[in-house]
Amino acid sequence: MQRRYRSIPDLKTNESARALSFSDAALACKLTAMGVLPGARVEMVRQSPFGNAYYVKVDGVRLALRKEEADSILIEV
Amino acid sequence: MKEGATIPPKIALIGNPNSGKSTIFNQLTGLRQKTGNFPGVTVDIKEGHFKCSDGSEVMLIDFPGTYSFYPSSSDEKLVSAVLANPKDPRFPDAIVYIADVTCLEKHLLLLTQLLDLQLPILMALNMADTASELGIKINVVKLSEELGIPVVLVSGRTGEQMPKLTTELEKLLLPNQNTRKPFYDLNPVEKQVSEAIRLNFNEENPYRALQLAHHFSWLPFLNEAEKATIATIVDTKNFQSLRYQVDETLDRFDRFTPLVHRTILQPPAVAKTPTDRIDAVFTHRWAGPVLFFATMLLLFQAIFEWSVYPMDWIESGFSTLNEFLQTSLPAHWTTELLTDGILTGLAGILVFVPQIALLFLLITILEEVGYMARVVFMFDRTMRRFGMNGRSVVALIGGSACAVPAIMSSRTIGNWKERLITVMVTPFISCSARIPVYLVLIGLAVPKVKIGGFLSAQTLVFGAMYALGVIAAFLTGYAMKRWLRTREPSFLAIELPVYRVPYWKNVWLTVWEKVSAFVVGAGKIILIVSIALWALSRFGPGDAMATATADAEKEAAALNLDAIHQEDLIKQRQLEASWAGQMGKAIEPAIRPLGYDWKIGIALLTSFAAREVFTGTLAVLYNMGSAEADINDRSDNEAKATMRQKMQRETFRDSGKPVYSLATALSLLVFYALAMQCMSTLAVVSRETGSWKWAFFQFLFMSGLAYLAAWLVQVVFA
Repeated sequence: MQRRYRSIPDLKTNESARALSFSDAALACKLTAMGVLPGARVEMVRQSPFGNAYYVKVDGVRLALRKEEADSILIEV
Repeated sequence: MKEGATIPPKIALIGNPNSGKSTIFNQLTGLRQKTGNFPGVTVDIKEGHFKCSDGSEVMLIDFPGTYSFYPSSSDEKLVSAVLANPKDPRFPDAIVYIADVTCLEKHLLLLTQLLDLQLPILMALNMADTASELGIKINVVKLSEELGIPVVLVSGRTGEQMPKLTTELEKLLLPNQNTRKPFYDLNPVEKQVSEAIRLNFNEENPYRALQLAHHFSWLPFLNEAEKATIATIVDTKNFQSLRYQVDETLDRFDRFTPLVHRTILQPPAVAKTPTDRIDAVFTHRWAGPVLFFATMLLLFQAIFEWSVYPMDWIESGFSTLNEFLQTSLPAHWTTELLTDGILTGLAGILVFVPQIALLFLLITILEEVGYMARVVFMFDRTMRRFGMNGRSVVALIGGSACAVPAIMSSRTIGNWKERLITVMVTPFISCSARIPVYLVLIGLAVPKVKIGGFLSAQTLVFGAMYALGVIAAFLTGYAMKRWLRTREPSFLAIELPVYRVPYWKNVWLTVWEKVSAFVVGAGKIILIVSIALWALSRFGPGDAMATATADAEKEAAALNLDAIHQEDLIKQRQLEASWAGQMGKAIEPAIRPLGYDWKIGIALLTSFAAREVFTGTLAVLYNMGSAEADINDRSDNEAKATMRQKMQRETFRDSGKPVYSLATALSLLVFYALAMQCMSTLAVVSRETGSWKWAFFQFLFMSGLAYLAAWLVQVVFA
């Protein structure tokens, strides 16, 4: 069976998953400093009104992430 | 004390955004604070003073909130730049680290980085009140032992345990601080690089040397030769900056997360908190934006409704004082300087205070509550289409009060291009200085009719001027987005803080700070212009003034005018002959296509430095000397009517056609909506962008656009 990675935008509203790793070094640097770590529980709260941004909860902390930022966080399948 | 009596020791307040740092700063310093003015430093940070129990002074420096030493915006970079350079005038003798105890895990990263700098440090665990409400239990003694630094549990809001914090803070300044074992062990490459830099730069601290390796390319205190040295070291050792930054961050988290679990007992998370319920509505797909625009509408409505009264008091107060001085002081040019120059200028500054204060009060409340972060989230997409960042919304809203602090608030935008565009377009938003200009011109040109029975035509034009500014801002943003290129990454990633009741002391201090910055900064320029304008219209080249006076007297005698009208005629002829009159006539050919005469020309020239001077200049031009008609005096409707009649009677000297046709008034309105006429803004733009180049470009672009648009309006409506 082929194992494929998902990222945050694949989450449905109210769905949550564990973060595994990052696909972009510059974003990883920014996101880890804000406490988005591999192993953190990420919950999709909602999309922004005009799209392209997500309201998520990472270990209970509320964050707004742009699509590219959310894309760079790989989560468990 | 460490530094001797003359220089007070410096203590830095450092912490993550939303750690409640400024609340603690305000608690400790109160009104004894100002925006820092360190020599050779362009970005301001706040400094405050604090008295120790032995009576000695300590300087507290409030650094911008940041998550780590690896920054992505210019205000975060400031923290890294100061701490990497012990020669910086703001380099602290000790650090008070502020952390939010309700999410300590996220806040310890920066603390452990600071620990490795080996400066005296203590941690204030803030929001003790919220923690006890949530049932969070903290073992402060154990936490302090494990970290090896003093830890105090405080609440900035309630003031709980603040005396304990000040005692610990004083102890920090005593000598003989033990050096600690580094929290983070450098990896082999980091160690080699750090050592090589230490040798070259005579740096004791390995972690600070490592910071130089990460940040040398942008650190302002390094010269080109030093940068080249570090670049060589970094290259030869194959130092992978970005990867090591992430590795270091993860390593630190791995070390302190167990420590947090050993010392803090967190009750299981509640499924739906009040913040979640509020956000379900306020960041909702449709309800969110609708509520945002409703809030903005209410905000402006409130400002116009409420600020009218204090503005009237200030205006009538000044005009009473002015009249009193004119009648009681001897008739001499020094009296005129005092009344027509200085007092008129002062009134022109102070009359804006109520509006600016109210607008900043409401914006600060929205920020303190936590709503602004939601606005950033909702409109990021929209703003990016126009070359900006969600964070630009905060600057644009602030621009409706005053562009100067609004432009400074753009520092939170990390990407150079997005920040530059924000800085360039913010002055298009109609600020409070444009309001009096709009009011005068709309009153002159737009009839008092209701469209469809209820919508006032005047209000509609007023709203249209605001809309014009917003449209110009967004179109300029779009054009600049196409034109500028950058490969710098752009971030949204923003924390959406828990909604809180505003802490009023923070609100008042912020409003106080912004208003006093306006009064001192912009006020200085308005006052100077007002005095210069008075001098230019009071004196003329050679004996032109004397000739004009004599001619006017003769003419008045021939027309058989009474004393008051004779006086007015003399004043008008004198003005025409004065330096100001000469200048106005000199530029008349350039502004004639827009439908303006030389008097409007003078007003355009004088309001170059500050828009609000326009109405005052017109008052002087059409009515100089007659105290009855101060156009600024809104409480005096009769005076305004006289003024308006005078303006409506104005005709061109050559053609005899009326000056203030509908076309001219509309064209002037558009000109004032778009033109860059504010010295203070240009000064701030050049400071924030680091060169006069952008300020100059902005001036040319906005004024050119204003000229073209005003011409177009004249052609269409004429």
